[in-house]
Amino acid sequence: MTAIVTTDLAKRYAEVNALDGVTLALEEHRIHGLLGRNGAGKTTLMKLLTGQVFASSGSMEVLGGDPVENVDVLSQTAFIQESQKYPDTFRPIDVLRIAAGAYPKWDQAYADRLVERFQLPTKRLIKKLSRGQLSGIGIVVGLASRAPLTFFDEPYLGLDAVARRMFYDELLHDFAEHPRTVVLSTHHIDEVANLLEHVVILDQGKVLLDADTDELHDAALTVSGRADDVDAFLAGREPLEHTRLGSLATATLAARDGDERAAREAGLDISPVSLQALFVHLTTANASATDPATPVATA
Amino acid sequence: MRIRNVIQLHTVNRMQAFGWPLLIMLVSLAIVLVIGGLVINVATSQGAESLTEARQGMNTGMMFNGAIFALLGPLIGFGFTAMGQYFPLALGLGLTRREFATGTVLVFVFNAAFYAVIVTVGKVIEVATGGYGLGVRFFDVVYTGVGEWWQTLIQTFILILGVALVGAAITTAFHRWGQPFLWVFWIALAVVVVGILAGALLSEGFRGLVVDVAAMGWVPWMVVAAGIGAIGGAIWLALVRRAQAR
Amino acid sequence: MLDDSKPLFVAVAEQIEDGILDGSYPEDAAVPSTNELAAFLRINPATAGKGLGLLVDAGVLIKRRGIGMFVAPGARAALRERRKLAFEDQFIAPLLREAAALGISPAELANMITKEVAR
Repeated sequence: MTAIVTTDLAKRYAEVNALDGVTLALEEHRIHGLLGRNGAGKTTLMKLLTGQVFASSGSMEVLGGDPVENVDVLSQTAFIQESQKYPDTFRPIDVLRIAAGAYPKWDQAYADRLVERFQLPTKRLIKKLSRGQLSGIGIVVGLASRAPLTFFDEPYLGLDAVARRMFYDELLHDFAEHPRTVVLSTHHIDEVANLLEHVVILDQGKVLLDADTDELHDAALTVSGRADDVDAFLAGREPLEHTRLGSLATATLAARDGDERAAREAGLDISPVSLQALFVHLTTANASATDPATPVATA
Repeated sequence: MRIRNVIQLHTVNRMQAFGWPLLIMLVSLAIVLVIGGLVINVATSQGAESLTEARQGMNTGMMFNGAIFALLGPLIGFGFTAMGQYFPLALGLGLTRREFATGTVLVFVFNAAFYAVIVTVGKVIEVATGGYGLGVRFFDVVYTGVGEWWQTLIQTFILILGVALVGAAITTAFHRWGQPFLWVFWIALAVVVVGILAGALLSEGFRGLVVDVAAMGWVPWMVVAAGIGAIGGAIWLALVRRAQAR
Repeated sequence: MLDDSKPLFVAVAEQIEDGILDGSYPEDAAVPSTNELAAFLRINPATAGKGLGLLVDAGVLIKRRGIGMFVAPGARAALRERRKLAFEDQFIAPLLREAAALGISPAELANMITKEVAR
């Protein structure tokens, strides 16, 4: 079953098209990565899918229904957002108590364990917490709610590498025991690449890439070697990036069938492109393609 | 409908919902009593005649004693915080606008009833004890009603509920239209106030009308107050159903 | 920990294969479950499952419903045979290419190998 289907979804604000013609289908019981640069539309998309803002046009179906004002859908959906506002007088324990009532599958014992693991001071005023502790509240709510559909929008801002790893471990462990649909939006692409089964890259409000991570490994490759050989290989091919250092050159390109063998036969070295690198290449190429002021990056 | 969770949202922090308003009220009452005590003390030393005079003077003057706003003030804030602080968290926890609005109205009604009862009980005690033996007024003032006890109950209830609803409506409109809304709102309010003042100053007939309206009696005034609250409530409910997270 | 020049699920399968080859997972012994493997390697359970599935399809692992996955009898020998074939492709061919680039003749190369082994 698909957990999320959007068709030509758009959200326009007075000054900007935050989201523009987004058509997606996200399978249930998977961990999806939602990647994009700042302002690419990730948070807007998640706010639309959780009924927090209203679409300008297009349609969406979340867990089989329109999420807007839909108790059936929203009680099954947790949205942990980096910018979540809390009342001035609230302490973490107050948020946890309300979340416990709002989510039907809430596991209090698990919430208590997470509070301890992430050393969350539950009785201190939220406005006095550090950025990392603030993220801790979201992580506890997001995991302990066991919501069939859980959105994490930059869930670990301000957390150090140890705490981030703890989050990944908890997420994987609980996901394995209680399968659900997770949408994870983050800038730490390298850290989460192995956790993701499917990736969506948004750029300037549009879907730039929508693929399973397994396929992505073959989606792009980097070739390097003598500049003349690289040039010869690139004839008729469109590189995402092409750099030259003296008589040596490196190029990254979206790979088609046979490219890898051709490159090897041309005597070029081939290396895989990580998700992080692919992300950078795709968004950079897209920016220069849509912005005439920037010359195409073939230095 | 997860109404219980919305009510919890407003009341999970007991100090905020009940503790602080009541505490502030008690402190304010204590200050009024101390001042009353001092005045009576000074008057007593000046003879019996002066004492009676002081008691009566205070009793009349304190009809407009605004110390009760130490309680009403924080309650006015309920409307603002409901929309400004609790609404974003409600949406964040997957509660619908309808659930939030229903639960919040219930909380407003309950709060208004709760505090109206407290004010009424205070007023009955105050009247029965002759202003705590000092002739002071705290609950028995024009804002909460100087008539019968049931009038105070109704008036205080309408006042608190109306203010909460109007406050919520203003905050929601501000979220939707931002600063321009506030400008329009304050300018409109100023135009009305200045218009009435100017009319009263310039035209004899209008002045008479204003005086008549001001003296129209308790029931019509309650109808007006309830009407303003109802309009605020209707505007708020209409806006909140289309309110977006920011 | 995992070879990143290959798709992740292939690397997972190869890691289990390495374990079988070096005797960490003897024949008939259980291999880690999908979830254990995912948690240990910090990867998506679906990817771990796909890696194990690859080995089941190749007859290296046997699935026993409700119990888990076990190393198939004869898996070690079969794996060794397959790795030997791949060895030529992965190691011998590049070695010869590099030798040719440096002007090392095959005879010279054989000599170097014999010397290295004796050391």
